[in-house]
Amino acid sequence: MIDILVCFIGASLLLYVLLGGSDFGAGIIELLPAGRLREAQKEVINHAMGPVWEANHMWLILIVVILFMGFPTIFTTLMIALHLPMLALLVGIVVRGAAFTFRHYDAVQEKRSQRIYTVLFGLSSLWTSLWLGIIAASLNRGIIDPAAREVWTAWFAPWWGVYPLAVGLFVVCIYAFLASIYLVGETEQPDLKKRFLRLAGWFNGLVVLAGGLVFVASTTERESLPSAFLKNPLNLAVIALATLLFVALWFFVAKRRTMLTRIVASGQVALILLGWYVLYAPNALITARGPLSFYTEAAPPATLWQLVLALLIGSLFIFPSIFYLFRVFKLPGGAKH
Amino acid sequence: MDDLVAARATMAFSLGFHIIFAAIGMTMPFLMSVAHFLYLKKKDPVYLGLTKLWMKGVAILFAVGAVSGTVLSFELGLLWPGFMQYAGPIIGMPFSWEGTAFFLEAIAIGLFLYGWDRMSPWVHWTTGLLVGVTGFVSGIFVVAANGWMNAPAGFDWVNGVAQNVDPVKAMFNRAWPHQSLHMQLAALQAVGCAVGGIHAWLYLRGVASDLNLKALRIAMVIGASASILQPFAGHIAGESVAELQPAKLAAMEGHFKTSRHAALTVGGLPDVETQTMKWGVELPGLLSLLAHRDLNAEVIGLDKYPREDWPPVLIVHVAFQVMVAIGSAMALMGVLYFWFVRRGKFPRWFLWVVVACAPLGVVAIEAGWVVTEVGRQPWIIYGLVRTKDAVTPVPGMVYHFGLFVVLYLCLAVATVWLLRRQFRTVQQKFGG
Ligand code: HDD
Ligand code: HEM
Ligand code: HEM
Repeated sequence: MIDILVCFIGASLLLYVLLGGSDFGAGIIELLPAGRLREAQKEVINHAMGPVWEANHMWLILIVVILFMGFPTIFTTLMIALHLPMLALLVGIVVRGAAFTFRHYDAVQEKRSQRIYTVLFGLSSLWTSLWLGIIAASLNRGIIDPAAREVWTAWFAPWWGVYPLAVGLFVVCIYAFLASIYLVGETEQPDLKKRFLRLAGWFNGLVVLAGGLVFVASTTERESLPSAFLKNPLNLAVIALATLLFVALWFFVAKRRTMLTRIVASGQVALILLGWYVLYAPNALITARGPLSFYTEAAPPATLWQLVLALLIGSLFIFPSIFYLFRVFKLPGGAKH
Repeated sequence: MDDLVAARATMAFSLGFHIIFAAIGMTMPFLMSVAHFLYLKKKDPVYLGLTKLWMKGVAILFAVGAVSGTVLSFELGLLWPGFMQYAGPIIGMPFSWEGTAFFLEAIAIGLFLYGWDRMSPWVHWTTGLLVGVTGFVSGIFVVAANGWMNAPAGFDWVNGVAQNVDPVKAMFNRAWPHQSLHMQLAALQAVGCAVGGIHAWLYLRGVASDLNLKALRIAMVIGASASILQPFAGHIAGESVAELQPAKLAAMEGHFKTSRHAALTVGGLPDVETQTMKWGVELPGLLSLLAHRDLNAEVIGLDKYPREDWPPVLIVHVAFQVMVAIGSAMALMGVLYFWFVRRGKFPRWFLWVVVACAPLGVVAIEAGWVVTEVGRQPWIIYGLVRTKDAVTPVPGMVYHFGLFVVLYLCLAVATVWLLRRQFRTVQQKFGG
């Protein structure tokens, strides 16, 4: 049963990063100068994100609900130790959702207010992605101390440092990369297509750079990533595969196979997450007092049972509806009336 | 402000903010679907204009509801880890069903908002209706979690630890039926009448008369019916509270001394020091009758509880009076509404009454939640866990509170500003 729940958490996180992440990435892209393409780019992003962003955002809520129902100790430990980053995340989520919707539905579309929405949307996307990375990096540093009550050690030390920051930057680059790749297929305008491709190239380079930075920064940690990786050959294989896929990616880009490029880029991100799971599984958190594993911290079986049941029955409704949503809006020729 | 008070204030503020948008999200889609249905049937472009107008409202308000709801799901852990530690596994179930319903809602709203020329008209109409249905269902589920805090069930409490957890029993706790009935009606009533009131006002000012009259009728059928039913649902809630949480009932009524043939006090201010009610009108025996269906039944007073287990009597009593006063006034308005519908014409003064009622339902919702939540104090899980034992150890909660007050105030101002811009464009489009 716990296995099923862990799979659900993993899958939700993956889908959140791929789908929700690309929505954040779109906001980050809008921060960059676009010259005369600015308005056209805004339209494309409005139409690409509009129908799906609320659904994409729900994966995060699903994770929160599974955690607090199924793994209450993990949830409460996180929410106490990472109170400040969580708060930062929430502020970002609120501002981003509001700015994006307001921009589209403002009855009076004038330059100044539209500009304000766009800047807020972009900055909050950047901000939220950064904190998401910082939170992810803080889970396994072995610094969270559930018993600490001294202000610095309890509420700052768990997420402070160059390593979480590097992971945050990495997440920002990945999101922007995913968004550029996905956006190529959202427009028919040749110069916009070209712009998104160029951005994808830039962010591809940045992802590699930021990834390297994460490795270097991790040497300041208790256990650096290189040494952890060397212990685990599976991990090396996963990361090597992710890097190799860049070749496939740009091959498909050159052949203009939109769908395949999207799949390969998603596959790369999935592999990076997989590498992360492999590195720490089955632990959800590594605290200063030892790891908290999904298998030891689970709720009573009666609860887990109900949770699994709810998730499975929910999936019966949710997956077909999501499929329909994406078919209507994302597949060429899908259900046009 | 100490950390406990700040945490409570934060929770109250963020829930009080969210509930407005949640109520809108549970009701507006239905109004919109009715207008859309009429358009598809009659092909009258006014109904299409109305559908699109309401749709834009739904889109804006839904987004605010979604982000403020996300904040809440984190805040359960950020503010009350000591509560979620026990409660998560026990009451997670309604939240997981609520989550499923939200997911479908988020998908349906994407399909509806952007699907105008991508689906056949009736499939598209169905997605709009589904937004309402899923929102309504999720509201019912989430209230089950709150009902459990008032009437804990589904576990054994052994030495301060929950054992033999049964999430199904917890979800079907005894406060759920009356609370969700009352809350769902409240959403229909408050939002129906608020929308009706706004259109009545535009109509009175001579803006787009045809559109606004049609809008008024759709909104008020729902709002006025719910207003008439609400006092009955409220009465059922009162009877259940008398049984499940006598201390809350005593605080609501300012009933200090346990007695038979207890009087109902209308208005008045309770004085906790002297344990008396000041300036109220007493109706002998009525409280016994309402709470226990017997003029001579005994009604438990606050004297049966140690002082530290009393909820803040003044707040609970005043909030209750406000809710009941509004409930009675709006029920009257609802009856008048249907009377004038049968006569076939609304006099202008009555439309002004409808305008006056527009904000009242929302005030009653806030007051009702104050009764429920403050009336439960000092317990976070009634009779078992005290609120002060559940609060987060994180210091400086007052900054957390301040941050959210500022953030939400900005959001509220922006939302109101946007909605006003919507209405101004209606005037331009549909004439004055
Ligand atoms: C439009 C809103 C509205 C209106 C007009 C009323 N209520 Fe209400 N009331 C609510 C909206 C509400 C609510 C916000 O929906 C609450 C809060 C929690 C709940 O379950 O419902 C509530 C709670 C609530 C409770 C506490 C339930 C509990 O703690 O379990 C009682 C006893 C009543 N109400 C009774 C009444 C009575 C006798 C009314 C007479 C007209 C009335 N309400 C009108
Ligand atoms: C499922 C729904 C709800 C849950 C799980 C919930 C949970 C909580 C919790 C954990 C607290 C803090 C502990 C306490 O002070 O008692 C609280 C307080 C409070 N909540 Fe609720 N609540 C719910 C619905 C609502 C709604 C919709 C409102 C709307 C206004 C509301 C109003 C309040 C208020 C006013 C307080 C502060 C009470 C005080 O002054 O101590 N609650 N609630
Ligand atoms: C602690 C209590 C609560 C939590 C944790 C919570 C959580 C949430 C979340 C996460 C969302 C966003 C869903 C999305 O993205 O679509 C949301 C929206 C919503 N919530 Fe709440 N909620 C709470 C209280 C309530 C209450 C008391 C009600 C109603 C009785 C309610 C009704 C709704 C509705 C109808 C929506 C849909 C969004 C909208 O239409 O604006 N919620 N809530």
